Amino acid sequence: MKYSIFSLARAALSGHKNWKPTWRDAAPKDRYDVIIIGGGGHGLATAWFLASEFGIRNVAVLEKGWIGSGNAGRNTTIIRSNYGLPGNTGFYELSMKLWEKMEQDLNYNAMVSQRGVLNLYHSDAQRDAFARRGNTMRINGIDAELLDQAALRKMLPFLNFDHARFPVQGGLLQRRGGTARHDAVVWGYAHAASELGVDIIQNCEVTGFTRDANGTVTGVETSRGKIGAGKVGMAVAGSSSRVAAMAGLRLPIESHVLQAFVSEAIKPLIPGVMTFGAGHFYVSQSDKGGLVFGGDIDGYNSYAQRGNLPVMEDVCEGGMALIPMIGRVRLLRQWGGIMDMSMDGSPIIDKSPVDGLYINAGWCYGGFKATPGSGFVFAHLLARDESHKEAALFRLDRFQRGAMIDEKGQGAQPNLH
Amino acid sequence: MSNSAIPSSTIPMEGSSVAEFSWEVRSPLDRALVAGPYGAQGDAGVALTEIRNFDLVQVMARRGKASEMAQAAQARFGVAAPETPKSIGTSDATLIWSGPDQFFVLSKGGKHSIEALAPGFAGSASLSDQSHARALISISGMKARTMLAKLSSIDLHPDVFGVGAAAATSMDHTSVTLWRGQDRGGQAVFNLLVFATFAESLWHTVLDSAAEYGVTISHSEEL
Amino acid sequence: MRIVCPFCGERELGEFTYLGDAKPQRPAADAGEEAVYDYVYLRDNIAGVMNEHWYHGAGCRAWLKVTRNTLTHEISAVEPAAGAGAAKVGA
Ligand SMILES: Cc1cc2nc3c(=O)[nH]c(=O)nc-3n(C[C@H](O)[C@H](O)[C@H](O)COP(=O)(O)OP(=O)(O)OC[C@H]3O[C@@H](n4cnc5c(N)ncnc54)[C@H](O)[C@@H]3O)c2cc1C
Ligand SMILES: [Zn+2]
Repeated sequence: MKYSIFSLARAALSGHKNWKPTWRDAAPKDRYDVIIIGGGGHGLATAWFLASEFGIRNVAVLEKGWIGSGNAGRNTTIIRSNYGLPGNTGFYELSMKLWEKMEQDLNYNAMVSQRGVLNLYHSDAQRDAFARRGNTMRINGIDAELLDQAALRKMLPFLNFDHARFPVQGGLLQRRGGTARHDAVVWGYAHAASELGVDIIQNCEVTGFTRDANGTVTGVETSRGKIGAGKVGMAVAGSSSRVAAMAGLRLPIESHVLQAFVSEAIKPLIPGVMTFGAGHFYVSQSDKGGLVFGGDIDGYNSYAQRGNLPVMEDVCEGGMALIPMIGRVRLLRQWGGIMDMSMDGSPIIDKSPVDGLYINAGWCYGGFKATPGSGFVFAHLLARDESHKEAALFRLDRFQRGAMIDEKGQGAQPNLH
Repeated sequence: MSNSAIPSSTIPMEGSSVAEFSWEVRSPLDRALVAGPYGAQGDAGVALTEIRNFDLVQVMARRGKASEMAQAAQARFGVAAPETPKSIGTSDATLIWSGPDQFFVLSKGGKHSIEALAPGFAGSASLSDQSHARALISISGMKARTMLAKLSSIDLHPDVFGVGAAAATSMDHTSVTLWRGQDRGGQAVFNLLVFATFAESLWHTVLDSAAEYGVTISHSEEL
Repeated sequence: MRIVCPFCGERELGEFTYLGDAKPQRPAADAGEEAVYDYVYLRDNIAGVMNEHWYHGAGCRAWLKVTRNTLTHEISAVEPAAGAGAAKVGA
């Protein structure tokens, strides 16, 4: 179905009771040209780009639960392209450009809102690091502004500028950054992909791979039977190691839990996205008025999709240090998702050592912003069997070659990225 | 050790010498502690007393020498050193568990200073002088337990944390050694050892937590 | 999640820091690059019961070996890691 002012008016006449599901809930066929495992944002975007850009429409997305039940529906919805290292800078900007035209491409309102992402700095050293990152962005044609304290005092008078330990000195602002409605992104890609003939198959868990005598992957075993495939791409985020293990692969990835929090709704307070640079705390305000915020991952391996209290305390302490008045706001909800933490904090989009199996993984806590870019370059890889130039450094063997993309310089300790 | 200025030795360097300077021994809470009442008025619910000028030595068994260390402790103090989280009082020292195969010796007046202890533990344990590395805060009063409950995740109920109980734990993200001393005036006494450089920060946290009950603040040289 | 330290008793999670899977063993100096790559970068990333190293840094400062289910956070065993309470080793 095509959405327009007319379809809205028509549906209004029947009290909005006759809206059809926005995508087809398909049953598995015997065989597809490409199977994507994982119905999160990345899997669905990949399927849509395969169909729309690369002309491959005999595609299925297999999702073990319901689409968007993983991190796609659990994140804090921040989108930005303010990365400093080769590999990341260009890729995230490609993704940002795709965000900017996504709603038109998909004919779906994903509530993409370029309200700005501001990283605060609290020391001279941090300002220098941010200036460097900002310059890197500008050299690459990405917008970035370094703001001083006076500018911030006008913009955000409620910040704790004179905090004794962590004075707010200024910030690096990317105005084109912002937020998008995460569920709508999932539904939008599902809607558009389904329109082009992609089968979206829910409650279909991949439990193994079928392989021929050479070891080449020929399809998958699922909770709904065997399904044949020309190629199989996995985009299962926190479950990457589990799915890769079915093909006998070990990955440079650990799965960790990240929590997020939403407060009760309050009047408009926070204009964009803001991050505290002296601890780990980031916040934006949803259109409903709730403060959406988060901080560090819990720091231990977990597949439990829920976290523990020390990090909750830590996040709230970070929030209080930056915006003391939010101490009065009540917390409404809190949840967790499983992060595929790679060993250098950057993603892997590559052929796997097993023929016919392609990997899209290692998104850590920052893969939502990558959704359109990841879908596009993964579709490129699946369709052409070669990396897109903006994803050429996201290779699986980079750890062996010493070609890490370690934005934070933390080394192979995933709980520190 | 006295409070007087201690001249440092003159260090010869390439024929000349660096300037003679002196250190004054001061409590880490010297600046932050203001004796007198604090917080809510009326009868104070919490008494905070900083204990100054103590000798504190950490004794850690060498690899494979735990039983030799225990024998040396028995010989020195006439009691067995704690092997589980607790504190043991002798006539002139308190032995406080600080981790597996290690404990603190808290005393005054130099009798159990590191120099005095060293010969007895030679070969069985490594000693390190912590006298000036920690601050010691003694907490008592009707509301002491209630106040500490805000800061500590340890169950301080008298049935669980009786006289002599000890814990290596954290308060407000700061490592502390906490133990319950002899009751005084029918009231529980909680002792807190904290790293000198964190003492001021923890002190403010304790004050914030205690303010609503009313506080009397003092310092003392009595253990 | 609370961890029962064999030395200190039951403590809140905030007192501990995490190292990770206790299985990887540092390869011998002459084991070659593949072995080092495997040790430093590759993980079993177990979904289920895993042996892990935790450090009771804000407590007794002992390294612990914790058996924990990564699917449920249930902890089934905690023991001193090799070398914890150094004096015990070789005693
Ligand atoms: C609390 C939180 C906050 C975050 N905040 C941000 C943010 O502000 N900005 C940002 O850029 N990123 C953020 N992220 C990260 C981002 O959400 C993820 O990196 C991204 O969503 C991962 O890609 P995905 O959408 O494809 O993953 P998912 O939605 O997790 O998709 C993977 C899917 O695979 C399915 N699956 C797994 N195993 C199988 C199997 N065997 N068979 C079939 N299906 C399977 C799962 O059910 C799941 O639906 C956040 C994450 C969390 C948890
Ligand atoms: Zn312990």
